[in-house]
Amino acid sequence: MTITDKEAAQKRTAMLADLRKERREKVEHAQSLLKGQQAVRKTLSRVMQGEPRSIPEIAAATNLPPHEVLWHITAMKKYGEVVEDGMDEDFAFYLYRLAKEPIHE
Amino acid sequence: MTNTLKIDALVVGGGIAGMQASLDLADQGYQVALVEKNPSVGGMMAGLSKVFPTLDCCSCITTPKMSAVAHHANISLMTYSEVQSVMGNEGDYQVRVMKKPRYVIEDECSGCRSCEMVCPLDLPDYDNEYGRGAHRVIYVPFSTAVPQKALIDIDNCIYCGKCLKACTTNAIDFAQQPEYVNIETTSIVLATGYKTTPYDAKKEYGGGRLRNVVHGMMVERLLAPTGAYGRQLRPSDGRQPDNIAYVQCAGSRDLTLGVDYCSRVCCMYAIKQAMLLAGALPMADITIYYMDIRAFGKGYEQFYENAKAMGIQFVKGKVARITEDENQNPILRVELIDQNSRVVERKHDLAVLSVGMLPGFDPNSMYGVPVDKDGFIKAPNPNISPTLTMREGIFATGTATGPMDIVDSIITAGAVAAEAAAYIQSHNGHRQLVAEQTERSVTHA
Repeated sequence: MTITDKEAAQKRTAMLADLRKERREKVEHAQSLLKGQQAVRKTLSRVMQGEPRSIPEIAAATNLPPHEVLWHITAMKKYGEVVEDGMDEDFAFYLYRLAKEPIHE
Repeated sequence: MTNTLKIDALVVGGGIAGMQASLDLADQGYQVALVEKNPSVGGMMAGLSKVFPTLDCCSCITTPKMSAVAHHANISLMTYSEVQSVMGNEGDYQVRVMKKPRYVIEDECSGCRSCEMVCPLDLPDYDNEYGRGAHRVIYVPFSTAVPQKALIDIDNCIYCGKCLKACTTNAIDFAQQPEYVNIETTSIVLATGYKTTPYDAKKEYGGGRLRNVVHGMMVERLLAPTGAYGRQLRPSDGRQPDNIAYVQCAGSRDLTLGVDYCSRVCCMYAIKQAMLLAGALPMADITIYYMDIRAFGKGYEQFYENAKAMGIQFVKGKVARITEDENQNPILRVELIDQNSRVVERKHDLAVLSVGMLPGFDPNSMYGVPVDKDGFIKAPNPNISPTLTMREGIFATGTATGPMDIVDSIITAGAVAAEAAAYIQSHNGHRQLVAEQTERSVTHA
């Protein structure tokens, strides 16, 4: 990294810190959303290790409401973290598995 | 920052009617500005799966027009922008438009979505997926959005800086402010569209409360290949529905909602969706509960007959209320009109409310254009000049003037372009001949 790049990075960090300070209330709200999402995603990732699972199976294993699980799986699928992998025996539910591991560091 | 623009026609609203009107005027050589409040043009049609009665792909019709308005030499496209004020008189209007900050420099953004991929927070996508899908805090609205540019939901940004690092064109600008454009125009075309009747308006139907009671636009997204699930799943648990009910007139012809008119599209979109669902879910039973089927357009009656031949059940009945069982299956209490008004309860696993059309915007306070008692723009001579308004130099098209389908929206867009062009000519508006424009293009090439 050249000195110019370093200075630019420092400037960027300072700017972001200023913005966080300036818009503290909204940032804190967004941070709480992110913390909640990260907790759910960690749980989902844990129970989705191994065999592909349906939404009700994931919901049962995580104690999360099925509609909430569906929303998270939909989001994770959109951004390539989860993939569909067949259907259950009754052809009622699609099965999902992690696309790559680990999702969360 | 304020810019000034002198044009022949300002088109307000970038749905199918606004885009078509803009193209029809621009192709005649008129200078047009198209203002759209959303980050992309395309309007409601961009979210639909297929059109009735031909079952052509909606995107295949809309996307080329979206692209055409963005690239037409005679059209200045302003997305994520809203009209702030309208001054002046017929033939000489001064309009102030505010361009809302995207916090992304449009000219720099390549639409690569690298920023979106590294953004850590997912939010429900209410604008395009009715909350069923998600987008990130920085996002490109949808895959065929025009312009294909990112924007930031600044209220949910934690300023982690990941997007700044990921953006290779330095397009992100957290300090971006609204920009203003002053427009001098000879004419204005209102193409402000419609919104659907809120699906929670009829409390007895449980919309918004019962997870497996959805509305027609949600089903469009279930059927669209670009939809949130990419499948036909019920929202409560992700199961493929195999017994689906449509409830017609759930927001039209209903005095309790103050909507006494027929929305003209609900019968046909329900039939279309039922046919598409039957194709996607061959084992599914689909029932349409209706008061009357209004299949009035060219090929529509045959479309209805085809649906019946496909096995779609049409039940003449009025749904009184919807409850649910312990598995969140909707239970419809229906008065069967053809069976001596016998009242029955029927269980389905997904219920679709065929919601109607309401006006998308009241233009009276800003444009001085009055509306009818139904809230749609009033025309002085609706039978002979349906695109005129009560104010000279201001025209209206598409569903801003009343409920209509895509075919009629496109027809009225052509009509409004003809009316506006004649008006511009009569007021010595500046007309740039196509030949001149072609010459200029060649010179600049």
